[in-house]
Amino acid sequence: MYELDMLLHGAQALFNQPMALLLALFGVTLGIIIGALPGLTATMGVAILLPFTFGMDPLSGLLMISGVFFGGIYGGSVTAILLKIPGTPAAAATAIDGFELTKKGQAGIALGTATFSSFLGGTASVFVLIFLAPVLARFALEFSASESFALAVFGLSIIASISGVSVIKGLISGFLGLLLATVGLDPMGGFPRYTGGYTELFNVPFIPVMIGLFAAAEAFKSLEDPQVRAGMAAALDRIIPPWHMFRRQIGNIARSSGLGIIIGMIPGAGADIAAFVAYNEAKRFSKTPENYGKGELGAVAACESGANGCTGGALLTMLTLGIPGDAVTAVMLGALTLQGLQPGPLLFKDHADLVFTLFAGMLVCYVMMLVVGLGSLRFMGRILQMPKSVLTPCILALCIVGTYAINNSLFDIWIMLAAGVVGYFMQKWDFPASPVVLALIMGPMAEANFRRALSLSGGSYDFLYTRPITAVLLTIAILTLMLPLLRRLWAQRSSGGPTTINPAAGSSRMGTPE
Amino acid sequence: MKGYRFVTGAVVGALTSATMMVAVQAAEYPTKAIELIVPYAAGGGTDLVARAYADAVNRHLPQSVGVVNKTGGGGAVGLSEIMAARPDGYRIGMGTVEITTLPNLGVARFTADDFTPIARLNAEPSAITVNANAPWKTIEEFLAYAKENPGKVRIGNSGTGAIWHLAAEALATKSGLKFSHIPYDGANPAVTALLGNHIEAVSVSPAEVSSHIAAGTLRILAVMDDQRSKAFPDAPTLKEKGIDVTVATWRGIVVPKKTPANVVETLRAASKKAVEEQGFRDQLAKMNLSYAYLDGPEYKVAMEKDAEMFKVLMKQIGLAK
Repeated sequence: MYELDMLLHGAQALFNQPMALLLALFGVTLGIIIGALPGLTATMGVAILLPFTFGMDPLSGLLMISGVFFGGIYGGSVTAILLKIPGTPAAAATAIDGFELTKKGQAGIALGTATFSSFLGGTASVFVLIFLAPVLARFALEFSASESFALAVFGLSIIASISGVSVIKGLISGFLGLLLATVGLDPMGGFPRYTGGYTELFNVPFIPVMIGLFAAAEAFKSLEDPQVRAGMAAALDRIIPPWHMFRRQIGNIARSSGLGIIIGMIPGAGADIAAFVAYNEAKRFSKTPENYGKGELGAVAACESGANGCTGGALLTMLTLGIPGDAVTAVMLGALTLQGLQPGPLLFKDHADLVFTLFAGMLVCYVMMLVVGLGSLRFMGRILQMPKSVLTPCILALCIVGTYAINNSLFDIWIMLAAGVVGYFMQKWDFPASPVVLALIMGPMAEANFRRALSLSGGSYDFLYTRPITAVLLTIAILTLMLPLLRRLWAQRSSGGPTTINPAAGSSRMGTPE
Repeated sequence: MKGYRFVTGAVVGALTSATMMVAVQAAEYPTKAIELIVPYAAGGGTDLVARAYADAVNRHLPQSVGVVNKTGGGGAVGLSEIMAARPDGYRIGMGTVEITTLPNLGVARFTADDFTPIARLNAEPSAITVNANAPWKTIEEFLAYAKENPGKVRIGNSGTGAIWHLAAEALATKSGLKFSHIPYDGANPAVTALLGNHIEAVSVSPAEVSSHIAAGTLRILAVMDDQRSKAFPDAPTLKEKGIDVTVATWRGIVVPKKTPANVVETLRAASKKAVEEQGFRDQLAKMNLSYAYLDGPEYKVAMEKDAEMFKVLMKQIGLAK
């Protein structure tokens, strides 16, 4: 087998270059730290390190950047689980159930599961990248505006399943997010909407809003009672999940990784979307969907394997076609070009040795991520032992620094603080924050692509049903929205009365005109 | 020499105390680190040019130059910040072609006159690129098809009002054709759509399609430049074909208009030395970017020419406010 041969050769070449491995380790560690800090994302980490790779040999530079990429996607989960502060947008989905687990005193297991799932999802995606790249690459090109629109609509339908106790409140949050998403430059016409003359508002300040809604809101809430660390176990007792627990997640992780890889390949869709989609599908296939949102380990496993599955998928289209699957790989494209490696179909032909050494290195990066991740968790877990009077100011300071770092903009800090105040009241009145984040990711994507698809088709709506991928995705979206209603009707008919619905299964209340 | 400059500074300073502060500081320029504001995100083309320049110019200035990215508003946020910076030479910026296009859209507080150009570093023309399986082998065939099928040819660009959209519009108005302009979120997604055959052509720069040209999946039909591209000598210019359209994006160093002359001189001299370094040119070449140095005064002429052209064009196509 050609690929296996080349991979073994690559591994040999790799272990003769200790410097490259050291830099990879540095990249992974830095990536985890960057990912864990609110505001600093994997994209930013890669962009910051890019100039330092100018003077390195291609392998070292690219491995370091891959390390930051992988570590950055994973690192977001640590603070998401421990403090409900998603370090990256992808971790916003992890925070939903991860933090509930921490509240139940199961932070250790949640962190361990997140680490293993990230490792498994990421490793699976790199293997797909190595062995199936040429076969799968063409798939990405099938995705035009109408398919991206359908994917975004499907993404929006997920609001129903991440709403927690009340679907109505989830939908209200979702629509709030959609309204916010209309602020900024019109994606097709290019004129400003609802910006009040502020050029800073030309792009929806998405990450400041997310930091505000999650992290700042949580900090404001803990200002209410600075003394106690209510209802949380002080230490992480067990990190590595027991086998009987983890075994049940294997199917879930495999499915989520697969979804992550596919979403990673789609241009313009990244780890954030993958994490939410994986959450939704894990809930759909779960035997206990009513536990989702209340601290379900499967949710954490799904989000993390989905998000890291994205890495290999995004790299796949970037390396084979020269088209980046997400924002991080768009920056990495520049890194490759700088090293004289022109991504595209010729890369595998002209630089096969280097490419496969790089692949071997990526697998090593994921092993490093697992080791560094597990090794640092105990240390990270001490955050829970910090008194609130110390932790809360630290979190607020981090929020401000992290927000400022995105665009070096003071304006963003005010946005973040305003979102924090809104988030505080949303929490008080039980409005979930994650639908807002989801709507901010999916809303602009749906709008821009719907209008782009219309102008591609010359104004005809035919693309909604004549393109197979679009039609399938839209159908799934409608089913996702209708399923709770259908289930309820079916339950009524089989039991003969409308009063038998378990009130805990929140989603079954959806759409019932009582 | 130093004393003479100080005297000059003092004379100017006598006019008002505020300008005196600036001038005295300026006499010693630079005495502290210089911030180079880049109006686009880290890792993008403009950012890479800025970082390569900062690397090179650091060897020719007594103080270091650091890159700061101020993104947003399609460049409007960063460019406004450069314009509004204190004119003492410690906040300089990467000025891009958007200096001449954004004011017409009514979304910017600046015009091209608000900046003093120091040095143009790089320029990339627009090019008409089609899929390799497309039936058109030459630009004439492509334009003939567009003439027979008005509005049927979909040209992908990097956003409405962005430079590649204006390039396609310029071609349309000059040759009397009607295209369907499809805005994407940057040049790369537009190229992706072209690869998937979802559109007929893109108007992005040759550098942005070079890997696909090398792989044989895309074909450049013409470039909108005064002369043929060194990297793709087979692609004719539109001028050769009798269509007088040249549209290019460019990037260079600019400072606020009121910056004192000696600061401008220091920066111009240092920039000239920096761009003459082989390392800088190699760095650009590695990124598929063309070296297009122009000294301050010539850069100003080029900028004014573009400002005039886009003013007319954007009014014509109804984009200007």
